[in-house]
Amino acid sequence: MMLNDQILLIEDNPDDVTFTQRAFRKNNFGNKIVVANDGAMAMKLLLPPAGIVALRPSIVLLDINLPQMSGLDVLRRLRSEEATKLIPVIMLTTSNDDRDVRASYECGANGFVRKPVAFDDFLCAVKSLGLYWLEVNEQVRPQERRSG
Amino acid sequence: MLINEEYERLFNVSREDIIGMKDHDLFPAEMADEFLANDKVAAKSGGPVQFEEIAPGDDGPHTYLTIKFPLLGSDGEAYAVCGISTDITDRKRAEQEVRLFNVKLEQRVRERTAELEASTKELDAFAYSVSHDLRAPLRSLHGFSQLLLEDYSDLLDETGVSHLRRLQVNATLMAQLLDDLLRLSRTTRVELRRQSIDLTAMAESILHDLAAEEPDRTVKLSVEPELHDVGDLHLVRLAMQNLIANAWKFTGGESVAEITIGSMLRDSQPVFFVRDNGAGFDPRFENKLFEPFQRLHSAADFEGSGIGLAIVQRVVLRHGGAIWAESVPGEGATFFFTLASPVSLSEQRGEDDAK
Repeated sequence: MMLNDQILLIEDNPDDVTFTQRAFRKNNFGNKIVVANDGAMAMKLLLPPAGIVALRPSIVLLDINLPQMSGLDVLRRLRSEEATKLIPVIMLTTSNDDRDVRASYECGANGFVRKPVAFDDFLCAVKSLGLYWLEVNEQVRPQERRSG
Repeated sequence: MLINEEYERLFNVSREDIIGMKDHDLFPAEMADEFLANDKVAAKSGGPVQFEEIAPGDDGPHTYLTIKFPLLGSDGEAYAVCGISTDITDRKRAEQEVRLFNVKLEQRVRERTAELEASTKELDAFAYSVSHDLRAPLRSLHGFSQLLLEDYSDLLDETGVSHLRRLQVNATLMAQLLDDLLRLSRTTRVELRRQSIDLTAMAESILHDLAAEEPDRTVKLSVEPELHDVGDLHLVRLAMQNLIANAWKFTGGESVAEITIGSMLRDSQPVFFVRDNGAGFDPRFENKLFEPFQRLHSAADFEGSGIGLAIVQRVVLRHGGAIWAESVPGEGATFFFTLASPVSLSEQRGEDDAK
């Protein structure tokens, strides 16, 4: 069902990229994970110059702490563009600071995951993410096509 | 001009010499202009008028409080003005000093406030950095241990697997410790929002959660009904959570565990308590009880980071309350706390009356 769906992971920490890829594989989500190491690269993929095909992932997993363009900057930009404003964005963070959570939702995030230290907990978090957001997204998509 | 002896002494002139002289012969032009103008005001007013005048003295300018009144002729017209001056230089100087002192004081308060704000911000940034930057490496430690266990298990013997597991346990422990540290620092930083709190309902819900986690334990629970006070809901819950979880933890070895939550009155103020019949603590170490990372029991007997009671104390102190504990080792412990000092309570009442 989700086999052909792409997920965009915007994450600068290579270790976290490894863990996220592993977590998706272990949960048997067949999604292809496209990785952008910073905000600028993500922008190139999602909002490319005219003539280049834009990436349209099922969900974006967005680390809040990115070098230069922060995760919140990326999120604001996505929400301000017609082409990307409906893509579900899940914020990833290391802290569980209230301010991060609040700021994320204020900027239009659809979800918030604190990357747990224990790998098993991370597996669970990714599992619930996948179950909820990938399924929901399946249902949302036809409407999106109609309105677009 | 007619003058008295004091005037002679002050301005170094004699009565004989001054006859026929005018203010401008005696004083600098600006001062003399002002004296004359004041004289004219007094002459026209028909009665006494008060002025502050500055005149030169041996040790610099002096300030005088001068009352001037017209001397009237038989036709009712003023033919002269009489002035009586009191030297108020010292008073003026004192006033000036007080003003200066106040300005300095305000300046100091502003500086201190700025310093305090800066250090709070610094603490904030520090806590934020701790929660982000110190956790990430722990995640890598734990995660790669997991990958080793999964991908290279055929290369590891039992000891190797055990080593990796211990690495994971410790990474998790340190993450827990970081979380506790952050929680402690947050209790000092967050703004206090006071509201009315139902401590009975709070205690019951905390106990309910604990019982759900360990359904096999039998604990005799008693929560006094109608426990109310005013405080920050979030922080008070954090404090109650720690106190009750402690009671729960330290009665783990009792065949019949008992936890009682209640209140009593002291100086007509409610004192709440959490009592258990668990391991208790040695009263000699009561002062160490509330220090962060102080543990009075070995990790093997009771696990914990040693930060729980430090959090409780911070919460209580931030409310202006007090906390203390009593124990007989092996027979249990009681923790008492108040949420506001009697003084601040009466202040609150005073404010309410004023409204």
